[in-house]
Amino acid sequence: MSGDRRGLVLALALLVSAAVLLLLGASVGSTGVESVFTAHRDAAAWQIVWDIRLPRTLGAWAAGALLGLAGAVAQGLFRNPLADPYLLGSASGAALAVSIALALFGASPYATQWLVRLGLTGAAFGGAVAGVLLTLVLANGVLHTLRLLLAGVIVGVVLGAARDLVTLAVPDILQAMQGFILGSTGFIGWSACGVMLGLLLPLLAVAWALGRMLDGLALGEATAASLGLPLGVMRAALIAVLGLSTGAAVAQTGLIAFVGLASPHLVRSIAPVPHGRLVVLAALMGGLLLMGADVMARWVVAPQELPVGVLTAVLGGTYLLWLMHRRSRRGGFA
Amino acid sequence: MIALEARALRAALGHGSQRHPVLHGIDLRLAAGRWTSIVGPNGAGKSTLLRALAGLLPHEGQVLLNGAVLAGSGGRARARQLAWLGQNEGGADDLTVYDVAMLGRLPHRGWLAPPGAADHAAVERALRATQAWDWRTRLLGQLSGGERQRVLLARALAVEAGVLLMDEPLSNLDPPHQADWLALARSLADAGSTVVSVLHEISPALQADEMVVLAAGRIVHQGACGDAATHEALAQVFDRRLRVRELDGQWVALTTQ
Amino acid sequence: MKRLWTGLVLLALTLALALPAAALQLTDDRGVTVTLERAPQRIVSLLPSLTETVCELGECRRLVGVDRYSNFPAEVRALPQVGGGIDPNIEAVVALKPNVVLIAKSARGAQRLESLGLKVVALEPKTSADVQRVMGKLGQLLEVPDAQRIWRHIDAGVAAAAQSLPPGAKKTRVYFEVSRGPYGAGTASFIGEMFQRLGVQNIVGPELGPFPKLNPEFIVRADPDIILIGERNAQGLAQRPGWAQMRAVREDRICLFNEAESDVLVRPGPRMAEAARLLARCIAAKGRA
Repeated sequence: MSGDRRGLVLALALLVSAAVLLLLGASVGSTGVESVFTAHRDAAAWQIVWDIRLPRTLGAWAAGALLGLAGAVAQGLFRNPLADPYLLGSASGAALAVSIALALFGASPYATQWLVRLGLTGAAFGGAVAGVLLTLVLANGVLHTLRLLLAGVIVGVVLGAARDLVTLAVPDILQAMQGFILGSTGFIGWSACGVMLGLLLPLLAVAWALGRMLDGLALGEATAASLGLPLGVMRAALIAVLGLSTGAAVAQTGLIAFVGLASPHLVRSIAPVPHGRLVVLAALMGGLLLMGADVMARWVVAPQELPVGVLTAVLGGTYLLWLMHRRSRRGGFA
Repeated sequence: MIALEARALRAALGHGSQRHPVLHGIDLRLAAGRWTSIVGPNGAGKSTLLRALAGLLPHEGQVLLNGAVLAGSGGRARARQLAWLGQNEGGADDLTVYDVAMLGRLPHRGWLAPPGAADHAAVERALRATQAWDWRTRLLGQLSGGERQRVLLARALAVEAGVLLMDEPLSNLDPPHQADWLALARSLADAGSTVVSVLHEISPALQADEMVVLAAGRIVHQGACGDAATHEALAQVFDRRLRVRELDGQWVALTTQ
Repeated sequence: MKRLWTGLVLLALTLALALPAAALQLTDDRGVTVTLERAPQRIVSLLPSLTETVCELGECRRLVGVDRYSNFPAEVRALPQVGGGIDPNIEAVVALKPNVVLIAKSARGAQRLESLGLKVVALEPKTSADVQRVMGKLGQLLEVPDAQRIWRHIDAGVAAAAQSLPPGAKKTRVYFEVSRGPYGAGTASFIGEMFQRLGVQNIVGPELGPFPKLNPEFIVRADPDIILIGERNAQGLAQRPGWAQMRAVREDRICLFNEAESDVLVRPGPRMAEAARLLARCIAAKGRA
């Protein structure tokens, strides 16, 4: 099958699977499938299905799609298959902001009021964006890839240390921080869903439009420049996409690992496509991955829940391991 | 008509405390419609010179493309006039050969516009010229080193620019394909394009029209490839371990122990 | 006409003032004022100390769900568990249809539960003064008459434990290790307060904060008379560099507490008196003989 067709078939498969999982997600939870059937009679069951399970499942898809998009952009921008969305300090910035918010909560009534309105989600989003901006400042602009990567690592380490200091000073927040870092899809409501989907579409459009330029960049920076590609503007736009999509996802779900890293690889292993289509397919794949992990997290040990970050690693990691094993058995590593 | 000109060109590599100057005041004029080889010992600054001429390296002094200062012209306008093939262009493994060649049409296409008939025609010409047309649906990652190089060359040809700069274009090519490339460069120059190639193999380089001999960041000699003065400059620059002889109607460089 | 209008306005004002008076109003630790029409009959508690307080106030039967860490009194273990403090299972909480949800101030999920229409009261006792305050608030919430009496009873238990110590105990210097780090219990912590009530000296002074991460060398130099520690953290105590020389280690003046006892000691809640008794018993046994 030609590359184009494969990509299209994959997209359709991912969308159909997502729809199926959405229905499954509405039926799975601590109160079982019965809630779906009694929903038209029982107001509480209706609330459970409509207000809790559906937005949570759809929100998990949206967050996974944002992370998959960010992962594909990161890997294309840095031409590095190990790049993930948390590369430019977004994760550490969000974690630091959340730790400060938790620490200040109750430090003064004024701070508490303000923080209640901003919420942990607002703090996490702001922190993620601030982390990326700090990396840009440290790297002195977007022009040098290596400097960006280095600055990202430095910012990650420094902000992580700052967060450790905050948790040392206010050890009460340690458990709450652990919850944030582990990641969870359990608190997503309709408004959170709306915010994520509302951001996903324009960011996806921008990344798709820049896909051709990412292809050119894959040939090397000098070649891309020789082709007349506006590297500075391009990179700035792509980093903006990266920061905003990661921030939006992290704000709602915490730091869920592996989705951003694995989604582009999973897509490439099935259908190697140019970057424009890769970002869209990676978003669809990421959405499916996180949504699947969320449904499984609720189903496997119902009425209890497993942490969703563990499941994304198990699901994505197992498939990638199998792929590597198959490839190395056939001989040669690509 | 001077296609490419450098005036008092200076360039340095590295940054901070490790910045060292590589080119020391180059004055160069390359005529249009000619094929020029740039040769010299390792570390002479050949690649640096080529990059500076392509506008890919910050430099002091001036570089003029078709009479206009390079720094002044916009990216896409310059990209339509000047095509570049670098060393070790890696990484586009998931693109088909056709798509890679189509990347060469980026300077001509609108941002989101699909490829037009002219683009398809140019890509086909380029792929046929490098004998890569038959496997245009294969992925770049599945090709051998030599096959890759031919596809990357096709990408540079697809730009159909008046000036073509190539850095070590013969890497990974087997002798028959090296000969093909030489024939291609000759035909391009005859058709009116300006071809500049940096080669470290002297024998192929001697097939060009003109030769620029570079040593330690300065031009030692510029002249026709058939001139005795050029051959003498070559021998000198390589510490007399190189001699140029004629064999079967071609100039050949021979090394001594 | 004018008198009719005045009358109507007065009636409206009276109604407006009277209606809230019939409802319960409570300001929780976040500063949010929660209004309930009547005392809640179905309560979900997501913090063990709040669970214990509700039961101590005699309203255990009103609990319909607890978090997975609530384990006292024994009857709450039969209740459905709805996740932990930091990861409450939103769906399970909503399915229990509670009138009010009690949650820690530092927990997540309060906003989500409120957006689903539930009443959420966030309280988190950290010191004994907090325990008294929380008890008063919950007493108000549950309409329990004279919650203060229950508090006085607890307080008396602590005083009795203090009195049970021999007079020489005032010179005993103690160190409580909360967890590996080592994190010690400072003067401002709940355990530190217990020590103060019992009249013993804490080697961790007030300037270090409630749970400082200490340099192990500090503890060796301070040379406490008694080391108090949970059984799990006590493994390898004598192997810590320099600790084998400490008097408390050599003479086995170490108070070990099992899981259940550790729970009582670290949770600021209504079992304060039992915590004080646990500490007093051990200090009396292992103190300067």
